[in-house]
Amino acid sequence: MESRFDVIVIGAGHAGVEAARAAARMGCRVAICTLSEATVAHMPCNPAIGGTAKGHLVREIDALGGLMGEAIDATGIQFKLLNRSRGPAVRSPRAQADKRRYGAWVAEALCREERITWVVCRVGGVLVRHGRVLGVDLETAGGEAGGETLHARAVVVTTGTFLNGLVHVGRRRTPAGRAGEPPSQRLAESLKALGLPWGRLKTGTPPRLHRRSIRFERLERALGDEQPVPFSFMTGRIDRRQIECHQMHTTERVHEIVRANIQRSPLYNGQIEGIGPRYCPSLEDKVMRFPHHERHQIFLEPEGVDADEVYVNGYSMSLPVEVQESLVHALPGLEDAEMMRPGYAVEYDFVQPTALSRSYEAKDVAGLFLAGQVNGTSGYEEAAGQGVLAGINAARAVACEEPFVLGRDEAYLGVLADDLTTRGCLEPYRMFTSRAEYRLLLRIDNADLRLTERGREVGLVDDRRWARFQDRRSRFEENARRVARTTVTLADGNRARASQALRRPDVELEWLARGNELRLEVAPGEEREDLWSVETHFKYAGYLERQEATIERARRLEHRRIPASFSYSSLPGLSREIAERLTETRPDTLGQALRIPGVTPAAVALIGAKVSA
Amino acid sequence: MFATDDTIVAIATPPGPGGVGIVRVSGPGAIGIAGRILSTSSRLAPRRATLTNALDPVDRRPLDRVLATYFPGPRSYTGEDVVEVSGHGSPVILRQIVTAATAAGARLAEPGEFTLRAFLRGRLDLVQAEAVHDLVTAVTPRQARVAFDQLEGTATAAIGALDRVLFDLVARLEASLDFPDEGYHFIDARAAGVEAASLAARVHDLIVSAQRGRLIRDGCQVAVAGRPNVGKSSLFNQLCGVQRAIVAGAAGTTRDLVTETVDLGGIPVTLVDTAGIRTTTEEVEAEGVRRARAAVDVAAAVIVVLDRSRPLDADDWALLEETAGRPRLVVVNKRDLRAAWSPAVEPRMAACGPVLETCLIDGSAATAIRGALLQVLEGGTPIRDTPAISNVRHIDLLGRAERALRRASAAAAGGASEELVLADLEEARRALEEISGKRTPDAVLERIFEQFCIGK
Ligand SMILES: Cc1cc2nc3c(=O)[nH]c(=O)nc-3n(C[C@H](O)[C@H](O)[C@H](O)COP(=O)(O)OP(=O)(O)OC[C@H]3O[C@@H](n4cnc5c(N)ncnc54)[C@H](O)[C@@H]3O)c2cc1C
Ligand SMILES: Nc1nc2c(ncn2[C@@H]2O[C@H](COP(=O)(O)OP(=O)(O)O)[C@@H](O)[C@H]2O)c(=O)[nH]1
Ligand SMILES: [Mg+2]
Repeated sequence: MESRFDVIVIGAGHAGVEAARAAARMGCRVAICTLSEATVAHMPCNPAIGGTAKGHLVREIDALGGLMGEAIDATGIQFKLLNRSRGPAVRSPRAQADKRRYGAWVAEALCREERITWVVCRVGGVLVRHGRVLGVDLETAGGEAGGETLHARAVVVTTGTFLNGLVHVGRRRTPAGRAGEPPSQRLAESLKALGLPWGRLKTGTPPRLHRRSIRFERLERALGDEQPVPFSFMTGRIDRRQIECHQMHTTERVHEIVRANIQRSPLYNGQIEGIGPRYCPSLEDKVMRFPHHERHQIFLEPEGVDADEVYVNGYSMSLPVEVQESLVHALPGLEDAEMMRPGYAVEYDFVQPTALSRSYEAKDVAGLFLAGQVNGTSGYEEAAGQGVLAGINAARAVACEEPFVLGRDEAYLGVLADDLTTRGCLEPYRMFTSRAEYRLLLRIDNADLRLTERGREVGLVDDRRWARFQDRRSRFEENARRVARTTVTLADGNRARASQALRRPDVELEWLARGNELRLEVAPGEEREDLWSVETHFKYAGYLERQEATIERARRLEHRRIPASFSYSSLPGLSREIAERLTETRPDTLGQALRIPGVTPAAVALIGAKVSA
Repeated sequence: MFATDDTIVAIATPPGPGGVGIVRVSGPGAIGIAGRILSTSSRLAPRRATLTNALDPVDRRPLDRVLATYFPGPRSYTGEDVVEVSGHGSPVILRQIVTAATAAGARLAEPGEFTLRAFLRGRLDLVQAEAVHDLVTAVTPRQARVAFDQLEGTATAAIGALDRVLFDLVARLEASLDFPDEGYHFIDARAAGVEAASLAARVHDLIVSAQRGRLIRDGCQVAVAGRPNVGKSSLFNQLCGVQRAIVAGAAGTTRDLVTETVDLGGIPVTLVDTAGIRTTTEEVEAEGVRRARAAVDVAAAVIVVLDRSRPLDADDWALLEETAGRPRLVVVNKRDLRAAWSPAVEPRMAACGPVLETCLIDGSAATAIRGALLQVLEGGTPIRDTPAISNVRHIDLLGRAERALRRASAAAAGGASEELVLADLEEARRALEEISGKRTPDAVLERIFEQFCIGK
């Protein structure tokens, strides 16, 4: 096997595949290492992509030229636009995936990239000399140290939950990255030896049931949208037949069983130390921490069109198998359900991402990038989003180019990178729209207008996407001009500028365009996108103008750079605690410094005075 | 900016002779310096007053019998090690103790530096730090009281109470956006609009009381205006309690502005006596009239003086017209002389607001004028409750919060969706948080997770 590459990506999960493809598209020769070819872009938990804020991430990944959007559009089996009744900034697409087909689609897409080489082998360590990455050491087929060495100028670590992973089911503990997959221990120790700071987190998954053992007729159906809204700007219409999901609630009986067995849960008997996500509570937590809630919502989601496994959304647990069985059977309609796989919890090591710069490169090891759950995040979309940017930056590092960093006012991807590297993770990090202070600006309808040109500049957007985007952008600009100069007659008979009329909550562009006064350019199949982006542009105009001043002020702080060598400990007036925080995080700019928890405006003023002096 | 990690010293009590005076030493070297300027052989016990002598560092001669107290950081005023030496209050001796401390290695503190350190080390929030400054520079007793309340956190408490309600509202709205399919009903936008409106009203009340607080803190200017010879300077002198302005029988005696600051029921009021306003061609007098008009324009309130012994003329009416709608007190003077007219029967006087009839030859009217003027300044409602906030910056921020809240409530009432209502609510929240200097980016999510069982 060839042993010299430009970029080596360790892991073929959602982060790894995006990183490998991005670097390859940017001209690098890439090796992608995975423990198994069968788990490429695997979904170990919920077989779904998107959701509030996560859907935004997918759109942005797509706008930059990433994979995830097209993958889910091609293999989704139920689509739903969340927050449809609310404003365009918080609408977000979500889709159930055919889990097996999704993975196969992504693997195939990567196989089409000529510059990608597959390495199905466990990586045992990262090779570093003089603070610079040289490559990786593989383990032998028998899992011993001392396999082959692969060389590269950049290495991207995307090993998810595998570093010292430990799976819990009741009192049974099994070292594993995911149930049934052995963990990566040697690699974990190799990374720790580089001095990267560590933490331990936990996540969990519910049991899977056999489809034919469920009495669906007794359950409430949950349907998707009639007309799916695609994730990718490259997808026209989605006309696939959609499946149905089902909905139910926990019962008092369920809560009783949990309470009676709580000491057998590794979460409650002290067996698990890692911190779990509060936005994804286990059934144990739901019952114990919210005793005043009579019931909790549960969804049954098929894992594919013809898959037998059904995912029990909302029922994640790590109780012993027999307790899980009785908990399943306690649910109405599931009395005879066959449990194909029990739920479990997994604890794993993660790297505290404050050790990374916003390009996902380790501050102290040139050429070493980390992306995905290994950085303390949770979720496929968060992983993929980091993967794209880490892949881009690995390729740029190989080409000796400046890092590619997106701002908080440019993309959720920018918010993600900034939050992680500035504040680190105390619990698994998931994206929410409320994390984006410029939420009104970061919408799904303008993700391409915000990012596709950036993706083209770095070389990730191919000609096909670029041509399609340019058409769309010129339609957008032309339509915006027309709206700005046209006066229309409103429902009440009054006349107003279209641009002003649209600021009213009840006035829709589609309605205005129905008359003769306002003519708009729309491409067949893209009418909705075309109308949405123009409408939103004007609907939010007043708010965006007001926000512009805030953004400008923030940008000034964002542009005040702090030298990497800046010594906080010798800066008089800084408390030791704040100085330590800053020394650890080493923010690039005053703006970033101000976002570090515990750092006061007074402290930033002190640094600012010193930096400009 | 000066260093903030060395040891500083200063007299901590107000200047001038007093009962006791305190010299405060703060910084890493405080305890070492205390060892060199005090005669105790043993180390000072934390937080306990020790009777000892302050020594001249050169010839070890006792300077004063003092009580010395050691406050180890971080539980001290500045958050650093602090030694307080209280002596007998003679400025000369206190200064000698300070000199002894500087000779022993301390640096003389800049004004406000103790407070700055307390703030930098997280012992005070911004509001409290600013209040300390106000307390130290307070002139009148009521001013001191307001500043003191602010130090004790009244302001923080008042804003904190508003902020908590707003925060809760924001958290519920955010939850409804980020968790749309949880089967929860957090709050709808219209209900949020109603809450925003009631919050706006509360912020408004705070601003109104704050503006009174500001009067107390910063004081205000009151111009005395009227035609020549009506008794303006007489009124001015009586309010000042001294013969400041020249009172003369010849019209046009006061040519330029004369000012004097007086304590009016706790508000520092700068009175401005002006030249008589009348139409004139004489150059110097014309300049005086211009300045008088300018003073009237910028003043927070105006006292218009009229002469009852002569009929009102066009200049009087013009002045009444110009000052209509402003906080104003009309004084009808020379009631001891035969009346040429009377406010009671002059129909156009009815709309002139408070009118006071006076005789300014002796001081008998002073109390009545003070009372009436105070009422005009307080906008009719007397300052009964101590206003919580008296800082201009805070009033500005409260104004920003109120405007944002009103926009939010209007948007919600007009059917705008949550993210737009939130854009304004967030701005209001930022403004309120800027006052107390607090800021936690994850707070909203924290709140949501703690209150609701979210996620699958
Ligand atoms: C049990 C479980 C429950 C979860 N629940 C949720 C949830 O409820 N909600 C949610 O949002 N997210 C959940 N997640 C998280 C989500 O699955 C991950 O965040 C996401 O898949 C991470 O993607 P990744 O690319 O970072 O890593 P992964 O998808 O984990 O990929 C890791 C890759 O690294 C490879 N690898 C590991 N070690 C080596 C090595 N030494 N050499 C070579 N290759 C290696 C593996 O083969 C794999 O391809 C859950 C995950 C698990 C395991
Ligand atoms: N009889 C009488 N004379 C007064 C009264 N107030 C002021 N004067 C006199 O009126 C003259 C003008 O007073 P002055 O205060 O200088 O007026 P100004 O020009 O408005 O400042 C002086 O001779 C005062 O003594 C009053 O109430 N009664
Ligand atoms: Mg005069």
